[in-house]
Amino acid sequence: MSTVKISFKLNGRDMSVEVLPNTLLVDLLRDILGLKGTKVGCREGECGVCAVLLDGEAVNSCILPAAKVGGKSVVTIEGLVKEDGQLHPIQQAFISEGAVQCGFCTPGMIMSAKALLDKNPEPSDGEIRQGISGVLCRCTGYRKIVQAIKTASQAGNRE
Amino acid sequence: MSYAFKDFHWTRHIPIKDYFLPKTLTEALDILTEYQGRALVVAGGTDVIPQLRRRELDAEVLVDITHLPDMKSIEENGERIVLGGLVTHASIASSPLVRKKAKLFADGAGCLGSPQIRNVGTVAGNLVSGQPAADTSIPLLALDASVTIASKGGERVVPLTKFFLDTGKTILDCRREILTRIEFNALKEHHGCCYLRLSQRKALALPILVCGVLVKVDKKRRVIEEAAIALGPVAPIPFRATRVEEKLRGSPVSKETIEAVGAIAIEESNPRDSLLRGSSLYRKEMVKVFVKRGLQKALAQGGFPVT
Amino acid sequence: MAEKLDKKKKVKVITKEKVDLQQLIAAPTGLSVVGQPLDRTDALLKVSGKLSFGADYSEEGFLHGKILRSPFPHALIKSINVEKARQIPGVVAVLTAKDVPGRNGFGAIIPDQPVICGDKVRFVGDAVALVAAESEKIAQEALERIEVDYEPLPAVFDPIEALKDDAPKIHEKGNLLSYNKLRKGDVEKGFAAADVVLERTYKVPFLEHAYLEPDIALAIPQPDGIMLVEGPMQAPFTVRRNLSAVLGVPINKVRVRQIHMGGGFGGKEDSPIDVGCRAAVLARHTGRPVRIALEREEVTLQTSKRHPMIMKIKIGAKKDGTLVAFEGVIYDEQGAYASLGPVIPPAGGSHIHSMIMMPGPYEIPNVQVDAYLCYTNHPYGGAMRGFGAPQVHIAHEQVMDELAEVLGMNPIDIRRKNAFKQGSITATGQILDQSVGLIDTLDSCAKAFGWDRRYRETGYIDKERTKRRGVGIGMGWYRTGIGTSSDGCGANVYVHEDGSVLLFTGITEMGQGAFTVLPQICAEELGVRLEDVRIVQPDTDIVPESGPTVGSRSTTLMGNAIVLAARQVKEAILEMASEMLMVPIEQLEAKDRKIYDQKHPDKSVEFREVVAKCMAKGKRLIGQGWWAPPPASLDPETGQGNPYFVYTYSTHMAEVVVDIETGEIEITDYVASFDIGKAINPRAVEGQIEGGVAMGIGYALMEEVILKDGYIQNMNLQNYLIPTSLDIPDIKPIILEVENKYGPYGAKGIGEMPNIPATPAILNAIANACGGRVRSLPADPETVYWAIREKDGELKKYENSF
Repeated sequence: MSTVKISFKLNGRDMSVEVLPNTLLVDLLRDILGLKGTKVGCREGECGVCAVLLDGEAVNSCILPAAKVGGKSVVTIEGLVKEDGQLHPIQQAFISEGAVQCGFCTPGMIMSAKALLDKNPEPSDGEIRQGISGVLCRCTGYRKIVQAIKTASQAGNRE
Repeated sequence: MSYAFKDFHWTRHIPIKDYFLPKTLTEALDILTEYQGRALVVAGGTDVIPQLRRRELDAEVLVDITHLPDMKSIEENGERIVLGGLVTHASIASSPLVRKKAKLFADGAGCLGSPQIRNVGTVAGNLVSGQPAADTSIPLLALDASVTIASKGGERVVPLTKFFLDTGKTILDCRREILTRIEFNALKEHHGCCYLRLSQRKALALPILVCGVLVKVDKKRRVIEEAAIALGPVAPIPFRATRVEEKLRGSPVSKETIEAVGAIAIEESNPRDSLLRGSSLYRKEMVKVFVKRGLQKALAQGGFPVT
Repeated sequence: MAEKLDKKKKVKVITKEKVDLQQLIAAPTGLSVVGQPLDRTDALLKVSGKLSFGADYSEEGFLHGKILRSPFPHALIKSINVEKARQIPGVVAVLTAKDVPGRNGFGAIIPDQPVICGDKVRFVGDAVALVAAESEKIAQEALERIEVDYEPLPAVFDPIEALKDDAPKIHEKGNLLSYNKLRKGDVEKGFAAADVVLERTYKVPFLEHAYLEPDIALAIPQPDGIMLVEGPMQAPFTVRRNLSAVLGVPINKVRVRQIHMGGGFGGKEDSPIDVGCRAAVLARHTGRPVRIALEREEVTLQTSKRHPMIMKIKIGAKKDGTLVAFEGVIYDEQGAYASLGPVIPPAGGSHIHSMIMMPGPYEIPNVQVDAYLCYTNHPYGGAMRGFGAPQVHIAHEQVMDELAEVLGMNPIDIRRKNAFKQGSITATGQILDQSVGLIDTLDSCAKAFGWDRRYRETGYIDKERTKRRGVGIGMGWYRTGIGTSSDGCGANVYVHEDGSVLLFTGITEMGQGAFTVLPQICAEELGVRLEDVRIVQPDTDIVPESGPTVGSRSTTLMGNAIVLAARQVKEAILEMASEMLMVPIEQLEAKDRKIYDQKHPDKSVEFREVVAKCMAKGKRLIGQGWWAPPPASLDPETGQGNPYFVYTYSTHMAEVVVDIETGEIEITDYVASFDIGKAINPRAVEGQIEGGVAMGIGYALMEEVILKDGYIQNMNLQNYLIPTSLDIPDIKPIILEVENKYGPYGAKGIGEMPNIPATPAILNAIANACGGRVRSLPADPETVYWAIREKDGELKKYENSF
């Protein structure tokens, strides 16, 4: 059974794994590395709950072969909390604005928001909605999510 | 109708036995040759991976071409713009060059899927998918694009109008060939363009109708010198409405001109009734509306608004 | 409490309606926890990705379970051969119908759905065999090796067709699952007296919940023989009841634990019974833990849906808009199995709820409704946010607008004229004697939205005359509770010697905020802070019977039970505090971890101190509460009675822009007002409003399970469209608190109400904008396009000549 060796950066730490060639990034993260924060909703790249950052860009990890991350940097929801336990401003804003209900889309939503704010630190409401248009939420109607991202952008989100 | 096992049973795993990341084009083509059709080229994977999971495609191994060199640039070359075969939709949507000199392409690439899809999906992959409404095929057809296909036997350049064969089928054999370059017209002064899309929701939606319009206007005489109208999915392949273009050539920039071509556009289209995308009758009506609107907006964008 | 003497046996019987309701309404002055927009108790875990959903639990030690499904909508199973599958290395069990240890049937109301089909299949996706294997890959291989010989039968896909005598019989007892009728007054006389009579038919399709978390069940046989089933679920007790029967063991030999849900919306009221029973049967057979995790497509294929309906209305009114008669016929398509459709006496089940709600929140003296619930060879209808109310609202709210148009009335005026007020009598003859804020919601919504001005400004917005703006109203009501005789909730409250509290309820968290709101009520009642109360994960071994988390009942029914439980403990605490402070009990108030003398507030003692003393003196710190609503009643012949004890009311107003050349819709403004009695956590209530409206917008514009010959055409989220962030406008919620006697601090339910009037508000706005009336949903661009042209693009009389 052949395997692929992948060396990459995960949440700032160097990582080296050897996995089956058909491993998808989401399954590498969840099942092999035990990082369950990234969720699986559709396995088609349609719902976005699996979104993580690959070299700073939001990608759907459910349809991304793990081998693709070799030499790159992956950031997941687990990577947002600082060493001392302090939350990222986006996470804090999601709590304070009530942008979390069932929480299943929350990791994907927060990572998409981070990708947006890292590129565009002061987005308009329309730009925020564009930025998160690839993550479906069935609970919130998006309003408080947009407000949370706005709040985070005003709090200064450079991390 | 007959249904296969795969139509009612789903699994999470992709049945791939190996995953290659060649570092050069030669290496990639060698692997493809070695596997004699059992290997599949993959770039972003946003189409291929779900299709493999659903067992709509099968392959023994994947050849990931994203590490091939010199395929990520977007450059101007005289009157044409040249893209490497690995350029993503996101790069196109945000490229200042494309936004300035081929706006309808930047707009199209910016509509496709979602931000996550646009970040990894490639224009080349979108073309190769052979979907009649691919958001990059339509603008590129209007921009007289041509593609470079590399295979073990060498390279060939094919105009995009000859690239699509049928729904989901192009002249490129994705088990043996790689699309390495795309080039298309850079728009100049007196050019106007427009990209229009009709879909049932505003993101993550396959389109009901897509229309790309390009016009070149003779400023002094206020006459349309050239026009390019690309449409989909109102036929098995994305296509140029050449009869409409013929009618427009030499016509004055006026309301009458625009009104006159709607019916011709409908005649050139032949959509089927689709449970998911809509009836043939409706889509034909929309062709008329979009061609008209596309022309109005393209002319306005080029500085020749029709009053 | 009053006692009623049973004359025959001379036994003291305490009737539940005599529970002192006054106790429940007395809100202490200045609430410190309830009414505050506090952060959710689970938000931190969710934003850091640390909260475990079902699929996040380790797969180690679990066998993977999979289901072999029927490719036919209706067929006999002539034979099934599993030998080849059994021989694959790594396959541990392949089960057929005869391997079900107990009752081979499950269902939330009627157990008519086979765990494994034996003789026939009734819809595409029906289970024909179960496999458990060491890996998901091997289980899939095993499925492919099972050989089944089917004999396809003629199938029926339409409820009206299904009722015909010669229709293929889906179940032994025939295709009519339930026929229910409502008779009030005399509709013949009513129509005779009407100045205008309108007849319309409305049609709505199957809808999918599309919760983002796919279903999963973990069945773990315990060493002592107990079967433990864990998973996301809204109704642990219903799951347990079914498991007990399917496994053939007493209820106390089954244990069910709810795992936090990634969305439920009613779908996880019964899908966990499906995956749970199947996982449990495999676990029982193999003696090993079994995990069944559905792929997204399987969720769409096999789990319950929102019932499609064909609704016929005949409505009569006077010239001035007063409604005089309403005649309705509902063809309610149940699909292949009963799920949550049939009647649970007196007024439970979605079908009879639809019948009761059909005439809308309007005073109508003469009403007749005939409602038919029919089996078909389609996927089956269950509970989906509104439980039969959304569909009928689409019908009655549209017909009100159509009536207004014929009468030349403003849609807001015809509603104001007929809407329920305090003292109104409903179509079931119920007198709404309290908490009727419907017109308050209408007025507040109209004011915030600017209805009068906007209604006058409908018309073209561009000089090319391709886009028209319009506005629409949707008004609605929704019950709190489920209308069954057994509706009731139990809660336990344990206070510990350091002042920390454990709260035990069987109400589940699916995102709606129960795990925050219920502890808020507990904390308020005891006089501590929210963070002092921990709500325990619902586990049927540990929490009292609570019923399902459905019907918008949790805050009210469970809230009341918690109040009663907390008061039991509070009694002991206040007694002790009274001793410690030397102040009479009546003067004491407990708030924010202190118990103080209301007359001299600085005379206080710490909650924790008092509690420690109680513990030391063996005083009761365990509270138990049970609250059941006033009994429901509904006469089966006339549909008259009091089916539900209190209702939430709502008015929505929407502004849309219609592209009349393409039929595309853009929603440009939206205001929704609610009378919910009391918002325990206003931010959570807003979240439910905004999310519910988004779901209602999806229903209006884009959602539909597309079926062809019994086969679902859009099984994945690529083709079953739910709104994205670009499709939903900024929704402005308004919360009104009209006094309600029956809830904790006056609270009524909110979970389902928001998605109900949203759909007709949009549809009415579309019709107002362009004349296109969509009577068969969804109003996708093509449907709107044809609707406009059907009316010759007839435009509103008020034209904005931009």
